[in-house]
Amino acid sequence: MSESTFMGVERDRIDWSPRIDFTKCNDCMDCVKFCPHQVFDVDENAKPKLSVKNPNNCVVFCRACAKTCGPDAISFPDKPETTKMIKAIRKAEKEAAKNE
Amino acid sequence: MSELRCVLPCNGLDKCAGDLSRRAALELAQSENAALICPVLLNQNRSRYEKVLADANLTVIDGCNTRCASKLAGDLELSINDKVNVSEVAKALEIKLGVDIQESDDNRAVVQAVLAKINSSAADQAESEFIEPEAVEYNSFSHGKFIFKVPQNNYFFNENDCWVTVSGKMARVGVSDYVQQNLSDILYVDPPEIGDEFEQFDDLGSIESSKAVFEIVSPVSGTVVAVNTSLNDAPEQVNESPYEKGWLVEVKLRDFSEDQDLLHDCPAYFEFLQRKVTEIDV
Ligand code: SF4
Ligand code: SF4
Repeated sequence: MSESTFMGVERDRIDWSPRIDFTKCNDCMDCVKFCPHQVFDVDENAKPKLSVKNPNNCVVFCRACAKTCGPDAISFPDKPETTKMIKAIRKAEKEAAKNE
Repeated sequence: MSELRCVLPCNGLDKCAGDLSRRAALELAQSENAALICPVLLNQNRSRYEKVLADANLTVIDGCNTRCASKLAGDLELSINDKVNVSEVAKALEIKLGVDIQESDDNRAVVQAVLAKINSSAADQAESEFIEPEAVEYNSFSHGKFIFKVPQNNYFFNENDCWVTVSGKMARVGVSDYVQQNLSDILYVDPPEIGDEFEQFDDLGSIESSKAVFEIVSPVSGTVVAVNTSLNDAPEQVNESPYEKGWLVEVKLRDFSEDQDLLHDCPAYFEFLQRKVTEIDV
């Protein structure tokens, strides 16, 4: 099961998950073995076998699987930008709650 | 904190600025737990001061911009804890120091300002010391065969299960009881470098058990000032005492009130964790 919010913000409003560079990925599947949150999916018949099937299962601000990736094929969104966005959403929601 | 201080003043006996640095040093030596160091003797026979230099923090008072006292300390490779320049202090007060030695209100004011400057930087240093909390009180809840502890107050958490506890401008960071139990026996702590600057949610090293590696996601932004070296030999302290002895990194905070916006206090984290363990069912 995924957590549905991060600091009170719905998880699906936060864009945070691994991005795979398939020109570097060598199909070792270390990331899949590493991550306990079922973010990745492997389909033996698909062209890249690996996919980020459940991006919203990814723990916001976790970057752990990137370290297990030998060819350095995993990257993440810009962290300060993401932080700013989360703060902005929280602020907007607080204001909205006040005005009700 | 070391209360001991030793004072190395400039020896410009023939000029006003030198005279004032000597007077400030004499006054310091009286009013505090401080030892005076004579620059002439130090230069001749350093061993004479070996013990006091080892035990005390060195404050250097330079008279003018020739900085003889600082240079002497530098030549002897002494580590200077604090230094003040009489001429600069006078300039800041808009007082013109003459060449001749004289007793005047202006000169007395400069000496007082020099002393105030030395004392306030000592106070700053005291503030930059992390004071360990007395006793931490915990709340706990159980889930299956696990019991999870969360402090009752003075700790803040991010949703990546890392905590911070603040003392003045300083703080310590560690992982929650939940992380510790999830990893089980922690075998290795990989700390960040001292002096590293980092943002909130940057990684601050990792800890490793036979089960997994856990990346420390920093709850705050700041600079690394120390790491818990006792964990080199005893990483199990993170298991035994995740909120106290098992702290990981000591940091100088940049803007805690800003960081706090994305942190839970203890009761909120307690609730968050209760929800989390039922959802993912450890
Ligand atoms: S660890 Fe890196 S190389 Fe291996 S499958 Fe994942 S993305 Fe590809
Ligand atoms: S960043 Fe963390 S949670 Fe997200 S996919 Fe990688 S290991 Fe899993």
